[in-house]
Amino acid sequence: MMHCYLYLSIILFCLGIVGVVARRNVFTVFMSIELMLNAANLAFVTFARVHESMDGHVLAMMVMAVAAAEAALALAVVILLHKHKGKLDTNVFSLLKG
Amino acid sequence: MTNDLMLLMPLIIVGAGAILLMIASTYDKLTHELAAYGSAGIFAVAFLVQLSFCIAGKVAPFSEAFNGILVASNFSKAAGLIILACGFFTSLSSQAYFKRNNFCSSEYYSLTAFAASGMLLLTMAQELISVFIALEIMSLAIYILVGYDRKNVISTEAVLKYLMLGAFAGAFFTMGSAFVYGAAGSTKFVKIGQYLATNGMLHSPAMIGGAFFIMVAFLFKAAAFPFHAWVVDVYDGASVPVTGYMATGLKTAIFAVFANFLVIDGALQQKWITFLFYISVLTMFIGNLIAIGQQSLKRMLAASGIVHSGYLLIALVAVGTKDFTGSVIAFYLAAYAAGTLGIFTALSYLGGKGEARKTFDDFKGLAKARPYSAAAISVFLLSMAGIPPTAGFMGKFYIITSAINAGEVTLAVLGIVSSIISMWYYLRLIIAMYFHEAEEQFDEPAESCWAPACTFVLVLCVFAISLYPIAV
Repeated sequence: MMHCYLYLSIILFCLGIVGVVARRNVFTVFMSIELMLNAANLAFVTFARVHESMDGHVLAMMVMAVAAAEAALALAVVILLHKHKGKLDTNVFSLLKG
Repeated sequence: MTNDLMLLMPLIIVGAGAILLMIASTYDKLTHELAAYGSAGIFAVAFLVQLSFCIAGKVAPFSEAFNGILVASNFSKAAGLIILACGFFTSLSSQAYFKRNNFCSSEYYSLTAFAASGMLLLTMAQELISVFIALEIMSLAIYILVGYDRKNVISTEAVLKYLMLGAFAGAFFTMGSAFVYGAAGSTKFVKIGQYLATNGMLHSPAMIGGAFFIMVAFLFKAAAFPFHAWVVDVYDGASVPVTGYMATGLKTAIFAVFANFLVIDGALQQKWITFLFYISVLTMFIGNLIAIGQQSLKRMLAASGIVHSGYLLIALVAVGTKDFTGSVIAFYLAAYAAGTLGIFTALSYLGGKGEARKTFDDFKGLAKARPYSAAAISVFLLSMAGIPPTAGFMGKFYIITSAINAGEVTLAVLGIVSSIISMWYYLRLIIAMYFHEAEEQFDEPAESCWAPACTFVLVLCVFAISLYPIAV
């Protein structure tokens, strides 16, 4: 039974990676990153159940708090981008070519 | 408990100072100059406190705080000193920079202090989630600093790239810690080490996957191959003092935590040393290739930062030896920080309005117009290239020696070859400054005496650090 949760978490994580790599919209990219963080949370909680300790739950809460801070910053950046270009397509931003 | 708080004193000073500065920023009377002096003062006080801990020998060399979540070792203290010094010089050079570029508000300085508190926490963290939180405290502040010039499209693009990739790496790190937690039953480095010692690295697939993910996140933050592509763009988009801060303070923190993570157990090292070998070689040579092709000074320095990450990875490969203390890494970080910060401090008052001077050609003939600044820049460049008697030379010397002691002779030779290649782009700027006729006069009035003063202090540091004896 525990395995199912782990598989789900891995699937969610992979979906997040695909979203970051394949999608061109800044919003979708940030949403995919949130998905990856939540996949990690699910894994934490599942492993906490496996080890029968509360550590994993606490760690998941911490990750959520950090994810919220990151989301706030990401939204601010999205607004800034929209002010500059009027679009949220990552292809528009190609001034820097490393 | 009191003892725990005492160990954290520099961190508490910087953190509380950052919050105070943030609150004080709401008053109009706090000009950004005053804020600069304030943050420089906070960094100076925290530096002195940290220094007094280092000198007072009664503190055990390796003391745990908060139930083993944080550890204050000699290595973390040295890294803390470097970070605080970086913060101090960044505050003063920003003050000069923002006299010419008007996009500053006083919150800028509180953000530098927040970033420094994240970095300090990172050097001491001995638990995966603390590492994650410290990493994010540092990164979130640095993201904002990179995009501080809101009217500038380039800096906005830089913050987008950095935020997207940084958050991606952060997600990898959390997933990695979740897997490691699943395998070892704890996120504390000590417990993970015990687990590895009894079961070995390859016992559980979760451990392998988790350690791999964490390693990816660290390599990304340390700007190592194959995760180096963002560095040049982000450093180029950020304003000069922020770039200097990122190149020195952030790198110090990341390598401190990277070394702390690697020393937890022999089993972990054995598996990773081979990979780190190839990664460090590729990082050095790819970094050199990128640096040689650059016309812009800032982009060249960013690419040379990749090369220096490669040298530091050599030092990490030598972690495998028995008596690893981190002193080689700390020494190299200090030497590199002095040189890089110096050059960025000089650029922050020589760069002109809106960073008009960017390329090598813009600095032609600087030696005639500003002989002292040109001499200082030359010292920093020679230190980064590794010419004696500068700190950079001694740093490279220790790293190569430790690699040979660890039996990695190939790596040592490749390091020397890379260091010779890197002369090409460092000397190019010196040639431009000394052997070309000036196209302009560089005669804007000096608006602040702090940045030039810092530059000369850093020149002294470059020589002083090279005299500091360490045991390899």
